Amino acid sequence: MDLSEKFVKGNGTFVDDIHMPGMLYLGFVRSPYPRAKIKKISGGITHKDVNFDIAAVGEGSEEEQTFSSTAHPVLAKDFVGYVGQPVAAVYSTDPYEAEDLIDSVEVDYEPLPGISDPEKAIDFEPINPASKSNVIVDRYFGKEFPDNVGDVVIEGRFVNNRIATNPIEPRGIVTAYDGDKLTIWIGTQSIYSIKSGICEAMHLPAEKVRVIQTDTGGAFGLKGGLFPEYVVAAWLAMKEKRPVKWIETRREHLMASRPGRGAIAKLKLYADRSGKIKGLKGEVLVDNGAFTGGSGEFSPAFIAMQLAGAYHLENAYVRARSVLTNKAPQGPYRGAGRPEAMFFIEKMMDHLADKLKMDPVDLRLKNAAEERYRSPLGFEVEPSKKFLEAAIKETGYRELSKKYNTGFSFLILYHATSGGESARIQVKDGRLKVWIGGNAHGQRHDVFSKTLINEELGVDESLVDFQLGDTDQIPAGIGAWGSRSAMVAGSAVLMAARMLREKVEKKYGKYSLNHLLGEEWDAYHNFEYSKMESSLGVNVVTADVDDLGKVKIRDCISYYDAGRVLDPANAAGQIAGGSVQGISQALYEELAFDEDGQPLTSSISDAGVATADLLPKFTIKYYKSESTLPSKAKGIGEAPTIGVPIALSRALEKAMGREFNETPIRPELLLRETAVQ
Amino acid sequence: MVENRHISITVNGERKEADVEPRMLLVHFLREIAGSTGTHVGCDTTNCGACTVLLDGRAVKSCTILAVQADRRKITTIEGLSKEPGKMHPVQKSFVDNHGLQCGYCTSGMIISAYWLLKHKKNVSEQEIREAISGNLCRCTGYDNIIMSIKDAEKRMEEEGDTLEEEQAVTVRK
Ligand code: FES
Ligand code: FES
Repeated sequence: MDLSEKFVKGNGTFVDDIHMPGMLYLGFVRSPYPRAKIKKISGGITHKDVNFDIAAVGEGSEEEQTFSSTAHPVLAKDFVGYVGQPVAAVYSTDPYEAEDLIDSVEVDYEPLPGISDPEKAIDFEPINPASKSNVIVDRYFGKEFPDNVGDVVIEGRFVNNRIATNPIEPRGIVTAYDGDKLTIWIGTQSIYSIKSGICEAMHLPAEKVRVIQTDTGGAFGLKGGLFPEYVVAAWLAMKEKRPVKWIETRREHLMASRPGRGAIAKLKLYADRSGKIKGLKGEVLVDNGAFTGGSGEFSPAFIAMQLAGAYHLENAYVRARSVLTNKAPQGPYRGAGRPEAMFFIEKMMDHLADKLKMDPVDLRLKNAAEERYRSPLGFEVEPSKKFLEAAIKETGYRELSKKYNTGFSFLILYHATSGGESARIQVKDGRLKVWIGGNAHGQRHDVFSKTLINEELGVDESLVDFQLGDTDQIPAGIGAWGSRSAMVAGSAVLMAARMLREKVEKKYGKYSLNHLLGEEWDAYHNFEYSKMESSLGVNVVTADVDDLGKVKIRDCISYYDAGRVLDPANAAGQIAGGSVQGISQALYEELAFDEDGQPLTSSISDAGVATADLLPKFTIKYYKSESTLPSKAKGIGEAPTIGVPIALSRALEKAMGREFNETPIRPELLLRETAVQ
Repeated sequence: MVENRHISITVNGERKEADVEPRMLLVHFLREIAGSTGTHVGCDTTNCGACTVLLDGRAVKSCTILAVQADRRKITTIEGLSKEPGKMHPVQKSFVDNHGLQCGYCTSGMIISAYWLLKHKKNVSEQEIREAISGNLCRCTGYDNIIMSIKDAEKRMEEEGDTLEEEQAVTVRK
């Protein structure tokens, strides 16, 4: 059945839809304090039973060293570092009873002062007894340069506050153990991250663990990694030899999953009077949360290395730090460091243009990279001027900006293509089964897979059954994140299809559909790729603010280099969905905390997830190009969450006549003085 | 311990009886006892609408109603929306054709809310659609294609002679 048809009929199998006889339901006792010593725990499963740490897996984890002293314990040992941290676990055959049992566990805490502000946390006493300082990453990028490189300097402090990933399906897991092998069913972006994470954390050999992907109700970065609850579910299934289920509540999600963003930059941008930028200097600070194992270890570097944007930058010197705070560990959220970096550089470009009394787009044109070069901060910047010229024309920026409050953002999107991806195609009984390494959660990888297979092998799309991930069916792979799948997974499918063609050719001298479908074949291809690719994008937003401070967005235009657009309908869906996430980051979304780290956000609506009643229509256009990968595609999944918040915030700066350097833009800042009187 | 109560709820035309705890939520009755797992849970604060079903013909969030309050009433879930088994209702069909879903998790609730709107209003405007589904959160689509699907569904229902319903007064027994 077509995937859409399955879902509209209510026939999906999400992880919570799995029922097994004898199933045990897990519940977690969580810390009510941002920071406390644990003196005693009475009852429940504790760290004495499950004495493991969480292994960092998934997006970005391969890039950095491990931080064993600040690793997240599966269950808290002698102290807790954030509200919601799992301290003990309980279980029952009845989910309601499991919830009741949570109250039966007694924990004796000695509360300590916590710290939630990352800037203040730098000099606060170490919140983790194992570390000497809260600063866990401190690196420099680029080279120091004299302040007199430019005639003008602009300087600012820019903030993207923490936001919850909030897929509508929360996290969840089902585990079962037959005495030999542990099987895990899970909604995930990567069955391989889950498998390697469980194996590493619990010291299990790879052949003793199988991970199967269920239908996955959105993820946005959340479902790429390993979480403490998963390890407890695996441990309990093995101990009791019974199936175990754990489903996150939304409240748990808001407290104790890994939220994204949470980055601050203090930067100076130097330029000459003509608007040519001469240098960038300053620092980036990431709010890591209380433990490592999320993305706080690598995101400072990832943000710093992108800070040249799509521009030519001669001089740069940036300090990048990550600091422990009494909050849940930071994790990737759609863009994961990319939106932060572009927000920082693009804000400065707008403010530099204001200072020089230039149109911000002319300033961008003047600084767009004409040739490929390696920025002093580390990443390669592709030639961007031609694209920018086309984007200005195609978006109609010049006309719009004469009439409306218009914001323009220019972005470079670094795709997580390195690591490549795998695919397997099996032919049996006249039909094809297809698996790809990364696991979709709404992007419809089935559609582009079928298109590519059809083009390569001439197989009708109705004969192709796209499969959910299963580590027993496709042994290796990476994951679906970082705008990578159309590029590397698409290429892997195409290469696997080519392998099938070659197999048929080898046996019969030439390829024919009849020979392919008439026999059994199997092809597995690991598409190896070590380079990080990039592509360019522009967003234009026009907006106004009424006297009550209500924002009205008129246009939200996306102009992206998507390479070959393999699946126009779903590409458009990705862009519209990402744009709304961008709008809600700019206007509403925030996980708020008090000074100690006590969360103040307790519902999905408080967290700012946008509803349908206040959103604009979207215009989507593409720059014509092809990538050098076999699939010819370029990823776009994260482009709107990078570009839209910047362009919207600029449109509102024009409307209000003031700077907005923080997301979300607080509602009181959108009230004009005349209206307040 | 409060005693269990014996209740009987008609789910998609079939009587489902069970002894349940008085605190059991309707959504859990539907999912665990009636086996209607197309009704989803996305929050614990009545915000997301993933659990929306029809109670005696009226769209309600089944996470905010106790199973015992639905005793002897009729529930329609996503699985029972189409009158012909196996076939799709026009609203379901238009969601498929207009890409009104991505991950599919909010979809059942979204379709039930859309169905309720289209059964009670003619010539709905875009703003009315947006307001009608403002109690249903979707994190994937940006809502655009959902709005298109609902507009298209209105046309299809008209063509198929699927007519408006009188609003029924629903009082939930406390
Ligand atoms: S689960 Fe009912 S409104 Fe969210
Ligand atoms: S389609 Fe994923 S939440 Fe709506």
